[in-house]
Amino acid sequence: MSGDSRYEIHQNAYLKLVLHALKHRTSAVNGVLLGRSSADGATVEIVDSVPLFHSQIGLLPPLEIALIMIEEYYGEKGLSIVGYFHANERYDDFELASVAKNIGDHITRYFPQAALLLLDNKRLEDLPKGKDRSPVMQLYTKDASNWKLLGSKGSNQLTVKEPSANTVLLDYISSGKWKDIVDFDDHLDDISKDWLNSELFE
Amino acid sequence: MVSKTEEEQVNRLENQVENGGGGAWEYLCLVRKLKLRRSDKVLKHGFSILNDPKKRSALGPEGRLEAMLLEAKGLLAEAEKAYSSLLEENQFDQVIHKRRVAIAKAQGNLSGAIEWLNKYLEMYKQAAFCYEELILSQPTIPLYHLAYADVLYTLGGLENLHAAKKYYAATIDLTGGKNIRALFGICLCASAVGQLAKGRNKEDKESSELQSLSAVALEKLYKQQSPSKLSLLTSTLRNFKL
Repeated sequence: MSGDSRYEIHQNAYLKLVLHALKHRTSAVNGVLLGRSSADGATVEIVDSVPLFHSQIGLLPPLEIALIMIEEYYGEKGLSIVGYFHANERYDDFELASVAKNIGDHITRYFPQAALLLLDNKRLEDLPKGKDRSPVMQLYTKDASNWKLLGSKGSNQLTVKEPSANTVLLDYISSGKWKDIVDFDDHLDDISKDWLNSELFE
Repeated sequence: MVSKTEEEQVNRLENQVENGGGGAWEYLCLVRKLKLRRSDKVLKHGFSILNDPKKRSALGPEGRLEAMLLEAKGLLAEAEKAYSSLLEENQFDQVIHKRRVAIAKAQGNLSGAIEWLNKYLEMYKQAAFCYEELILSQPTIPLYHLAYADVLYTLGGLENLHAAKKYYAATIDLTGGKNIRALFGICLCASAVGQLAKGRNKEDKESSELQSLSAVALEKLYKQQSPSKLSLLTSTLRNFKL
């Protein structure tokens, strides 16, 4: 069922997530994916993303506040939460953390096809060497009761809408763009900071 | 917070060091003091000091640094050995205890890290009530109250929620009403308690008063500091009303 869906992520949504992980290299970070599914359910379009936290990501209070605000904001635009992004603390850790699974489980209650994306540090590191056009993330979806890794190299069920995304990403990495990204943690410490990052790509 | 002058100073030193000038040690100290993330540069210039025996001996106790050098090079097993022999000499060396936790964590050995962390915390006698102990030992630091409240809320249950509310209130008190996380925390607690204790409303009056005060304070702060998100805040707060 959900294992057959295709997921297409818009470039800016993709870039925000990776830049967020790059800003906080030594901690686990997370974020949510906003979008919609096509009428027949065959494609899930990930239109935007919000970087959430970089410290103590296992605590509920900030998460609940963030999710309510995000739903209020995007609901008006006809978008809802369609997935979750996670980057592990350790560079070579490819396990799906239990925090990620718990939050993912919660999202599937409202959106069964929810995508769970895990940052693939290995492929991120290899980007400058090759011409990898697919997102440097692993895609998990929930099948009955387990989170399953989808699409080994042959069948890529996760794609970026704009084929140039990784080139732009490399540009941003070398220009230090990641310094400018704001997450919900930053906002709660200083509410003048904009977790929508509306000026990031201008 | 990094001030403008500090930022300029760091950038100037970084430039100087990067271009082969002196001042590497001052640069590293500043990066640490300002809690900046410059891992690649710290590694590069840190190594240049550690690899030079003359510079190294100028820095102080040898053993610890030798072990940290091993660790930085990724020779974790050897670093671990060096640390344990140092601990035999001084079993209360907190820095080394912490390094051992970090090594276990870097090896993906989480249960090991927890074990070491517990050993480290045993020095404070009460590992399980660490936050309580912290609050007792330094009752005027709002961050400890807030962290404890967040943990209590996450644990859930009526009793913990009531306790969380009190610690959020203490945080607000200690910060002069300026802590956003604590103000939101009060709203979350009030709403969660309301849902759990439906019908049985003894404490309700006090609780809802606290909640509306927090909401008003939040609206005032957003109006001043984040006006573009004020309407979003208002609709968010509506979710907590019962």
